[in-house]
Amino acid sequence: MKGGREKFWTSLATYAALVVICALAMIPLLWMISTSLKSDSQIVESPPRWMPDKLVWNNYRLAISSEWAHFPLWTRNTLIIATLAVIGTTFSSAIVAYGFAKIRFRGRGLLFTLMLGTMMIPFPVLMVPLFSIFVWLGGHTPIQWLGTAKPLWAPSWFGSAFSIFLLRQFFITVPDELSEAARIDGCSEWGIFWRIMLPLSRPALSVVALFTFMWAWRDFLGPLIFLQRPSQYTLALGLQTLQSQHGSTPWNQLMAASVLVILPVLALFFIAQKTFIEGIATTGMKG
Amino acid sequence: MLCGALCVLIFGPRPEPAVPPDREHDVVIHYWEKWLGPEYEAIQQIVDDFNNSVGREKHIYVELMSMSDIDQKTLVATAGGVPPDVAGLWDPMVVQFGSLGALVPLDDLAKAHGITAADYKPVYWNGSHWAGHLYALPSTPAAVALFYNRRIFQENAAKLRAAGLDPDRPPQTIDELDRYSDALTVVVTDARGNRHVQRVGYLPMPPDYDWYVTSMPLWFGSDEWDERSRRFTLTDPGVIRTFQWMESFPRKLGVATVSEFFTSQGGFNTAQNSFMLGTQVMEMQGPWMANYIHHNNPSMDHDWAVAPFPTAVPGLKNVTYCPFDALMIPRGCRHIPEAFEFIAYVSRQDVMEKLCMMHCKGSPLSKVSWNFLHHHPNPYIWVFEELASSPNAHMTMQCPIAQEAGAELTAIVQGVLALEVDPIPALALAQARLQARFEEFEKARKRRMRVAD
Amino acid sequence: MTRGEIRSLLKGLAFLSPWLIGFGVFMFLPIVLSMYYSLCDYNLLQSPAFIGAENYRALIHDGIFWKSLRVTLLYAAISLPAGLVVSLGVAVLLNASVRGQAIFRTIVFVPSLVPTIAAAVLWKWMFNQRLGLINRALGPLLELLHKSPPPWLDQSAWVIPSLALMSLWSVGNTVIIYLAGLQDVPRELYEAAELDGAGKRRQLWHVTIPMISPVIFFNLVMAIIGILQVFDTPYMMTRGGPNRASYFYTYYLYDSAFTYLKMGYASALAWIQLLLVLALTGIAFWSSKRWVHYQGK
Repeated sequence: MKGGREKFWTSLATYAALVVICALAMIPLLWMISTSLKSDSQIVESPPRWMPDKLVWNNYRLAISSEWAHFPLWTRNTLIIATLAVIGTTFSSAIVAYGFAKIRFRGRGLLFTLMLGTMMIPFPVLMVPLFSIFVWLGGHTPIQWLGTAKPLWAPSWFGSAFSIFLLRQFFITVPDELSEAARIDGCSEWGIFWRIMLPLSRPALSVVALFTFMWAWRDFLGPLIFLQRPSQYTLALGLQTLQSQHGSTPWNQLMAASVLVILPVLALFFIAQKTFIEGIATTGMKG
Repeated sequence: MLCGALCVLIFGPRPEPAVPPDREHDVVIHYWEKWLGPEYEAIQQIVDDFNNSVGREKHIYVELMSMSDIDQKTLVATAGGVPPDVAGLWDPMVVQFGSLGALVPLDDLAKAHGITAADYKPVYWNGSHWAGHLYALPSTPAAVALFYNRRIFQENAAKLRAAGLDPDRPPQTIDELDRYSDALTVVVTDARGNRHVQRVGYLPMPPDYDWYVTSMPLWFGSDEWDERSRRFTLTDPGVIRTFQWMESFPRKLGVATVSEFFTSQGGFNTAQNSFMLGTQVMEMQGPWMANYIHHNNPSMDHDWAVAPFPTAVPGLKNVTYCPFDALMIPRGCRHIPEAFEFIAYVSRQDVMEKLCMMHCKGSPLSKVSWNFLHHHPNPYIWVFEELASSPNAHMTMQCPIAQEAGAELTAIVQGVLALEVDPIPALALAQARLQARFEEFEKARKRRMRVAD
Repeated sequence: MTRGEIRSLLKGLAFLSPWLIGFGVFMFLPIVLSMYYSLCDYNLLQSPAFIGAENYRALIHDGIFWKSLRVTLLYAAISLPAGLVVSLGVAVLLNASVRGQAIFRTIVFVPSLVPTIAAAVLWKWMFNQRLGLINRALGPLLELLHKSPPPWLDQSAWVIPSLALMSLWSVGNTVIIYLAGLQDVPRELYEAAELDGAGKRRQLWHVTIPMISPVIFFNLVMAIIGILQVFDTPYMMTRGGPNRASYFYTYYLYDSAFTYLKMGYASALAWIQLLLVLALTGIAFWSSKRWVHYQGK
């Protein structure tokens, strides 16, 4: 059967290619873990080996507790900022998205297009004047902005264009009959939103929460500009500081530090895999 | 996982309270420094000494913090209105930050504490001034000289004598330096025809390893900036000669060979430094090298000696480059008199000598104690002291855009050593660019002064 | 407007209020200020001094501006097509395999989760001349060919290709998007093509690609916007070197603002960046009419 044999070889080739690709994807990460557990002398040995002679867990301890690494503190900072950003973004974006999706009013289309347009504005355009604004706020109001983490999470409490867009697309798919029924029962618009829309949109909300968390965890330029003291740093900024501090780079410790930075994100991924993949797929599709 | 996160949030680490409970009512001075490791511990000791003596009397508590990229961070924090009270920067910042109006002038405070020009070696005192005002006080000074490996000289005495050179003394001119280097350099060719440096006599290195290599023209009798005419002088014959001399090394040894030698270096303070490994016989370094040699390769402790770095101009002697670390008060500091109390403390002779001996550096003060000269970890400290006091000791160029100039020169050195860049056109281009930038800067500064009026 | 319309308007604005305030303070105001600063000489330590179009004039004559633009465009020229081919190729492969697709898909996706800073540290280690994994793995092969290992991050000519190579490692999320798009293509089209006698390759070219062209288009636009903002990786790995060979546009912008405190000049650079984003997106949109095929439209 010619067709069958041809199909077999194509299948084999496909699987072989996929195995190679997956290997290429995983090898750097495995190498990172392998290096993180090596002793100083083993890093420079030639030819390199995958399994270190003995697992030097001390590298992790060193990475965490060196004088200029405040890893536990940085983790806490990043967690706080990420959590505040997630809560703020999710709620505010949901509110705004509801407005765009379910309330018909004059100029809605225009405002929506405007909001979409803001997604194209690169952060560097905003960062210089934002810095200036925060300095001014610090000097003229009792609240200090610069030198704290507020600039990193406060803006997300006013909605993020991307999240608003995602949620609006979702809200549109919810049939109007539900809200109509509630309205007839005398429910206020806010009531409809709070009691009917939100509970229904858990999947969409988790996608937004997840993406916001990931973004806040990885953000580097923001913390670099707005955070002034090492005790306030996030993990991303802290890792960069670690790398630039040392005269001669202790690669094993750096790798250990990197593993620690990646671990929470990976853990989160494996727990919420489905939400992740669906979320990314939908953004591409709806775009 | 959510519970775990909550636990970290509630029970997790907090930024430690830095001020001990019995000092809570003192004025807290935030002091940012750049140092790590033993140098950091040294300044921490000085800070502790202050807190337990003058600090206790005057109710001042100094909190020390180590920062990476400290110059940039201080500038941004000052611009942001949240500066540290005392910043431990480098001398180029006196000009750069001073010209931006980011520093508090210290003239009156210094006078009130009885600190005058007579207390310091001229090169350090002058380097702390900009536009007639004192903006900093030196903390630990630098001076550079020739470190050479006497043992390797003696081991190769025959070869040196055959080349007409004396193995019992170091080179005294650039020409001699080249000849000593040629005689002592060993290059091996491997099976594939690639050349590898086994040992090099002398090799100028890119600024990531030798951070003063951009000031090399000083030993050729030239400078890159003329203060009087306020012009860059990158196309002066002396400067061009300097870069052509730098170019001669990759030309002689081969670009790939030289490049491989560079990348196999570790940091200058590690055991992979070529001087410490014995793969480089002569190098330009500061007094702190003694500490690093002792720490990383103590077997070498008696192999090395120091002499003034040779010059290319007959009759020009005792040339050195004197950058230094300095303490400054950024604009926006809310406790200026208290901040200066700490700076004045560091400038006392006994405290300064204690700090500089721990850092294995010279002293910026004009008066130096017998104890300092004779118990210093570097037995050749007297060479550095003499050099720093000589009339040919140069400070960093007093140009407000020195940082940009440094970046341009760094790019040229990197390019020349990789033979990717021809010195003469590159210097001409940099000269034109930098001079234009400087004029633009001056125009802007004058315009801002007019606006402020 | 009728009473009902006014009420709807007020309700709508009420719900939109968080975004409206946020837009005003964190978007609109900064943009206006940015325009103003770009016409000023401003170093944050002293008040801005109006200088008209001086910054823009200086920009045109600034060699470093053009260099950083060239660097960014060179990177785009390499990583955009390479990224497209690789991510689309992987997506096609994933789509073809039926068993174990979920596992393969997950493995391919994981690298794109890694925070850019951690990836930068990792790849800096992998690219290390002496000790890096890449050179050590290639070692035996290079011995055979009598060649020395490429200098990766240490030489001007190799830096950008190295960074582009590194970007291929994290195409995972783009692959997922393409995969979703591929799975959306109706089976009937493939069957019809097969009946017409088209082999796998022609099917790919004439059925698959036109059908997912909207997805390709979307990814292209996102990629363009992304590349103009690349910062973390060069900042972490090469500090813009050697000799500014990896001095990306946003890096120069950042330096102008926060290293040299030339806020006015940085704002001018930012506006040029914005115009570039709009222009490139506009070009993409215009050319899309020619090759993007929307289903059922």
